[in-house]
Parts: sequence; structure tokens; C-alpha cells
Amino acid sequence: MALSALVALALAVLPLPAVLDALRPDFLVLVVFYWCIESPRVGGLSLAFFSGLALDVIHGVVLGQHALALTLMGAWATNLRLRIRVFSMLSQCLVVFALLTGYQFVLFWVDGATGNPVTTFSRWLAPFIGALLWPVLVSVMRKVRER
Amino acid sequence: MVAFRTEASGRTTGLLFRCVLYCLLALALIIVDKRFDHLGKIRRLLSVVAYPVQIAVASPFDGWHWLRDSVTTRAALRADKSKLEAELRVAQFRLQRYEALEAETMRLRALRDSTAGVTERFVIGDVMNVDLDAFRERVLVDKGAGDGIYVGQAVLDSGGVFGQVARVGQLTSEVILVSDAAHAIPVQINRNGLRTVAVGTGDTKRLKLPYLPTSADVVAGDLLVTSGLGGGFPAGYPVGTIAEVRRDPSQSLADIDVKPAAALDRSKELLFVWLKPPAAELQPPPKAAPVPKK
Repeated sequence: MALSALVALALAVLPLPAVLDALRPDFLVLVVFYWCIESPRVGGLSLAFFSGLALDVIHGVVLGQHALALTLMGAWATNLRLRIRVFSMLSQCLVVFALLTGYQFVLFWVDGATGNPVTTFSRWLAPFIGALLWPVLVSVMRKVRER
Repeated sequence: MVAFRTEASGRTTGLLFRCVLYCLLALALIIVDKRFDHLGKIRRLLSVVAYPVQIAVASPFDGWHWLRDSVTTRAALRADKSKLEAELRVAQFRLQRYEALEAETMRLRALRDSTAGVTERFVIGDVMNVDLDAFRERVLVDKGAGDGIYVGQAVLDSGGVFGQVARVGQLTSEVILVSDAAHAIPVQINRNGLRTVAVGTGDTKRLKLPYLPTSADVVAGDLLVTSGLGGGFPAGYPVGTIAEVRRDPSQSLADIDVKPAAALDRSKELLFVWLKPPAAELQPPPKAAPVPKK
């Protein structure tokens, strides 16, 4: 669990060309959702909160921003987990898309409330990419955990 | 927020409780971080914790650069050498008059009690190969509070003004580029001394001058230099050149694009500059008091 979070955190700061940078999916957020859905006892809200805090420090934004967004959406994912688990992959992607959009919205809101609004449209692309990446993440995590 | 239903496991009330707890904690952090300055120390500590991750991400790229540098051919090195020699010749030619000019400038400054600060010493930092937020123009540099870097310090690169220090960690610091949408820098036009403020756009290739009237004497190609007003930046360093001036007669302000002088998206080495506070003003020295050179 800690390993997957660390890898995702490293992916979050991996240098990418400027064009791809805006399209970078929130890897750590996806990993947190995965643990919230798969086994909230292992990960759960503490993982969500502290991963969010790590993102705040690494991205150098106001402390607590990502933590708040991840906690809220992590709680939602945990609450829906029994239903999400029996969903088909397509519906899972849709739910993840909703969660990621909610996550971006909380970030957007905190950005605005703290006086650094980022109004570029490209920030709303990340949920799309993230949702498309969900099946890949799930299969990779399953493979790794079966070992 | 979705309603939390009770499940057979009976853990959902705990979930709601913990969710509210963590959210309150996060909100408290946001407010404290925004309103007060007490979190600086904590953030500094946390940034030390984050350092290994950043190093781990940057190291393969650094390793690759090192490898590429160490296996360059003799021919490439020779070409490099002759290019550098040519550059050095030009630079030395320009430098010949520098001492005299500087002395003259200081004399003139003293004459009119100028308050513009003078560069005293500098330290070179490397940009770390780490992407910060994709939507803000910031870079992470491998010099921090341990090297005496302070918040608000001016940062230059070989071409001109790069930005200023936005946040300081123990080992690293975050530099906000002049092109960040939240950044503004006092400038003047070198040709006629017209003062204004250059504002970032969020695009590394473009700044803008939003506060000049349509009648202002600005033409494309004019050089913009720092005015030194406000005391943050040393005076006289190039910020950019005017790229385009659009004058709409129905508007009172002109729409002016500036091409930044610094290589904002390419520079690897940055100069952190310390300013000598003007002698006329008895200012307290900056937080991390610079040790006078010599």
C-alpha cells in the first residue's frame, strides 16, 4: 500500500514535456481511490488525508488543499465501494470520472477561496485521462497483489 | 455530498466521523497556512521529507545527462570550446568598459540619492528536474534556507530576470517565474524610461503590459529593464522586449505583449541575487543577512 502510494507520488512529479504536463492524470488520487474501494481497512481515509498532504507539499500549494479534496472524495468512494465493486468496468470508469471531477472541483474551489484562481480549461482534462487509466491501474494493482 | 447509509458492517458512522474530522483538519490547515505564517517551519520540515522523492525522480535524468556529457566526442568538445572562446571574446570586449561604467553609475546614484539597490553577491542554483503544479509557472531549485535564500529574493538567468523566490525549504526553494499569472514586476522601457508593471500570463513565452495608455510611447522591439522600484529586483536588468503593441482606439489602455529575455522554459542554472540596501536608507537587512563578499 505504502509502495503503491510512493510510486504514484513519484509519477506525480516526473518531468514531462509541457504539452503532456497538463494532461498528467492524478496517479496518487487513483491509487487512493483503489484502496478506498478495494480495502478501506488497509488504506482508507488516513491514506487519503496523508497522501493529500504529501501532494500539497510536493506541489507547493496551500497546505490542506489536496488533503481536503482527497478526504472528501475518498470518503465518497469508500461509501460507494460495495456498489462500485460489482459494477462493470465501464460503469466503474464513469464513477471514477465523477470522483475525479469532484476532486478537481474541490481543488478549484480552494484555489479560488485562497486567491490563486487557475481558470485554464485544461485542468478539467485530468479527470478524463484518469478515468481512462482506471482499468489499467486496477489490472496492474491486481497483478502486483497476486504475487 | 452523498448520504451515508448504515451498512451491515456498522463502519459507516465511523467513516462519516473520520471524514468530518479529516476535513476539519484540512480546512484548519488551509486557513492557518493562508492567514498566518506559523506553518513555514512545518512546511520546511515536510519539504525535507519530500526531498528524497524529488531526488529519486530527478536522478535518472541527471544520470543520463552525466552519461551524455561524459561520452561526448573530441570533435564536439572542440566545437564547444571554440564557440565558448568566441563568446568570451565578445564578453570581454563588452566588459572592458564595465568597471568605468559602474563607477560612473555609483557616482550618479550618489548624486541623486537613488534608492535603487545594487547587486552585492549571488549564488548559483540548479533547477531540479521536477514538475511542480502544471498550471503555475514555478520551478524547484536545489538551494534553500541553508544557503541563505530568502522569500522574495530576485532570481536571474543568463538572459535576464527569471523570477523571484516564492517559498524556501531547508534544502530547496521554489521560484515563481516572471511569466506566472500571479507575478508582476516593476519595469521601465530602456529607450525612454517609461515606467510600468509587467504582468505574467501563465505562458512562458509571453508577458504583458496591461497598464499603459494607448497613447504611450511604446514600439515593438523596445527593451524592458527592471526599474528597481519596490526594492525586490536590482535595477537595470533586462526583462524582455516588446513583441507586439495593439492599439484599439475605443480602449483607453493598449494591449502590449512582451517576449521575456530569460529562457524561462530552458534555463538550468539560475542566479540568486542579494541586494545591498541603499546606503541612504537605514533599512533592516533581509531576513537571512548576506555575508558581505571580500
